[in-house]
Amino acid sequence: MKNNIRIERAVKNITQAELAELIGVSRQTINTIESNRYVPSTVLALKIARVFGKPVEDIFSLDDED
Amino acid sequence: MKSRFLFPHWFRYLGFALFLIHIPIVMFKKEMGFSMHGEPVSDDLFNSHHIFFMTTTLLMAIGLFFIAFAKERIEDEQIFKLRLDSLQWAIYVNYILLVVSLILSKDTEHILFLNLLVPLVFFIVRFRWKIFQNNRLINKEEGQA
Repeated sequence: MKNNIRIERAVKNITQAELAELIGVSRQTINTIESNRYVPSTVLALKIARVFGKPVEDIFSLDDED
Repeated sequence: MKSRFLFPHWFRYLGFALFLIHIPIVMFKKEMGFSMHGEPVSDDLFNSHHIFFMTTTLLMAIGLFFIAFAKERIEDEQIFKLRLDSLQWAIYVNYILLVVSLILSKDTEHILFLNLLVPLVFFIVRFRWKIFQNNRLINKEEGQA
């Protein structure tokens, strides 16, 4: 699964730590999601999308391997 | 995220303390009046040998148990996943060792002891190693930025 959290963060101008605090996870978790090493649960994906005010599909998309 | 069946974070330090306490008891076994290995012991259940075994083994096992199952400071779903993965690895390793030692050894007392230690120790090491790796990656990125 691919995501563009890093870009959305840059647009909204917030750090990994700030995003982490907004959705109640650790910074490490945001970091591993951004670098595609961890696939978040649906709940977490929805929370991230809500922070950026966009539908989940705009932030997460399926990879060829999925 | 709610995680059930975990101890509060400070239990980790309590666990370390219990684990550390058991070391001097083992080191100064003789000085503390416990009978040494091979010495004749009485047949009572609570003889010197058994009390020594109980105190040291229980202190160590409970200590490790608290270290292993204390909450992280931020207990989120990724930690939950790492915990579960590490538990699976620990069970695999434990059973492989158990089968091998059952084939190669008749020393059931030590096999039991190994079986008590390996899952917890392997779990703790693997879990902490994964968390360490995640932290290292974050520091690396900060170094680049």
